[in-house]
Amino acid sequence: MREAKPPPPQDFPPTPRTRVKRLGYRACYDRETVYGILDAGLVCHVGYVIDGQPYVTPTAYWREGDRIYWHGSSASRMLRRLKEGVPVCFTVAHLDGLVLARSGFHSSINYRSVMAFGTAEPVTGEAAKLAALEAFSERITPGRWPELRAPTKQEMKATLVMSLKLEEVAAKVREGPPADDEEDYALDLWAGVVPIRRVIDPPQDDPRLKPGVVAPAYLEALEID
Amino acid sequence: MREAKPPPDFPPTPRTRVKRLSDCARYDRETIHAILDAGLLCHVGYVIDGQPYVTPAAYWRQGERVYWHGSSASRMLRRLEEGVPVCFTVALLDGLVLARSGYNSTLNYRSVMALGTARPVEGEAEKLAALEAFSERLTPGRWAELRPVAKQELKATLVLSLKLEEVSAKLCSGPPVDDEADYEDDVWAGVVPLRRAAGPPQADPRLAPGTAAPEYLVAIEID
Repeated sequence: MREAKPPPPQDFPPTPRTRVKRLGYRACYDRETVYGILDAGLVCHVGYVIDGQPYVTPTAYWREGDRIYWHGSSASRMLRRLKEGVPVCFTVAHLDGLVLARSGFHSSINYRSVMAFGTAEPVTGEAAKLAALEAFSERITPGRWPELRAPTKQEMKATLVMSLKLEEVAAKVREGPPADDEEDYALDLWAGVVPIRRVIDPPQDDPRLKPGVVAPAYLEALEID
Repeated sequence: MREAKPPPDFPPTPRTRVKRLSDCARYDRETIHAILDAGLLCHVGYVIDGQPYVTPAAYWRQGERVYWHGSSASRMLRRLEEGVPVCFTVALLDGLVLARSGYNSTLNYRSVMALGTARPVEGEAEKLAALEAFSERLTPGRWAELRPVAKQELKATLVLSLKLEEVSAKLCSGPPVDDEADYEDDVWAGVVPLRRAAGPPQADPRLAPGTAAPEYLVAIEID
C-alpha cells in the first residue's frame, strides 16, 4: 500500500522522453530531489551514438547550478564525439539496498537515479575551464585546490570539460521495505531490506609521499554515494 | 611499471579497443568475468529515433552471457526485444587517486564494456533458470525458500541476455603517477579507497513473528 503524499513540484516538466512509464509513482521531477541525487554521487554514465551504435561511458561528474559537468582527455572518443554537439543521455544511479520480498517477483532494489537528455557543450575559455575544474576538485576534496600547483597551459589544453544543462530530466527513487502480495505475508520467510552503502576507507599514503606530510583533514569528511 | 597482460580472449575490435590509458585495458575472460561477477548494477545503452538512452538495471552473468530483466512493459526491454545494438557497461569505483596536481588526479576503477545485440530469453524453463541464477548470485539458497513464480509473473517478466563477444575491460589501480618534479611538493598524495558494503539487514515491519534472518544475508558481496 502506498501512502498518499502531496506531489512535489515539477520543476522539470516531463517530456515523452523523461516521463517515467514503469512504476510512475517512483518518478520525481523536482529540483530538490534531482539535485540531491546528483550531488551525492561521483560517477555517471554518458550515452551517445556513433554510426548507429550506442556507447555508454562511465565518468566522474559534478554539478554547478543547473548544469552538470564531466571532463576528460581531449583525445577521448567520447569527448571528441560529444564536442560535435550530438544528443546524449546522462544517467546517474545510486544503489541503496536489496529489497528481499517474499517472492522473487516482488523482490527489487532500492536506488536513486537521474536521467537527463540534451546536447552537451564544451566549456570554452581558460578561466571558465579552470573554474569548472576547481569546482570538481572542491566537490570531492574541499580545500585541496589551493594546495595543488596550478594547471599548466599544456594540461589545460589536453583537458576537455563538457557541460549539459538540466532541462529534460527525471529522477526515479525506490526506497523502503518490500511490497508483497497480501497472501504472501503469511509465509514463514524472512523479508526486508539489505542496505548497501559506499564505504570510504582510511586514506593510503603514496609510497613516495614527502616525509612529514600528513593526511589533510578534508579526507575525513568525504561523502560519496 | 608494466606487468605482463593476459592474452586477449576477446580480440579488440575498432569499437572495443581502449584508446585512452591503454595500459589499463584487458581483453581476457578471467578479468572480464571477475569484474562482472563482482557488480550488481549495469548501465544499458540503446537508441530510439537517434536518441541514446542509458538505463541502469540489475544484471548477472552465466557462462559467456550477461543477463538483465525487467517488466515486459518497460521501454528499454520492449526496444531491446526488437534486436537492436546495445552497449552494456559496468563500472566499479575503487578509489580516489589524489595526485600532486589536478591533472594527474584520477579514479581507481574496474569497468567492462560489451557491445552486441541483446536477445530475450525464450521459454518458461529457460526464463525460470535465469531468474534463479540471478537470485542465487545475490542470496545463495534463497530461491528454494521462495514460493514458485506464478505464470502471470513470469509472463510479466522479460529477461534479456547478451553474449560476451565484443567486450573489453579497464582496470586502473594503485597510487598516483605524478610528474617527476611534483614529488617535491609538500602536498599530501595517495589513494582514498572506496567500496560498497552490505548490511546489516532490516527486517520488514510485517515480518511474521519468530522469523529469523537467514545466514546468506551476512555473506552478500557487491562491489
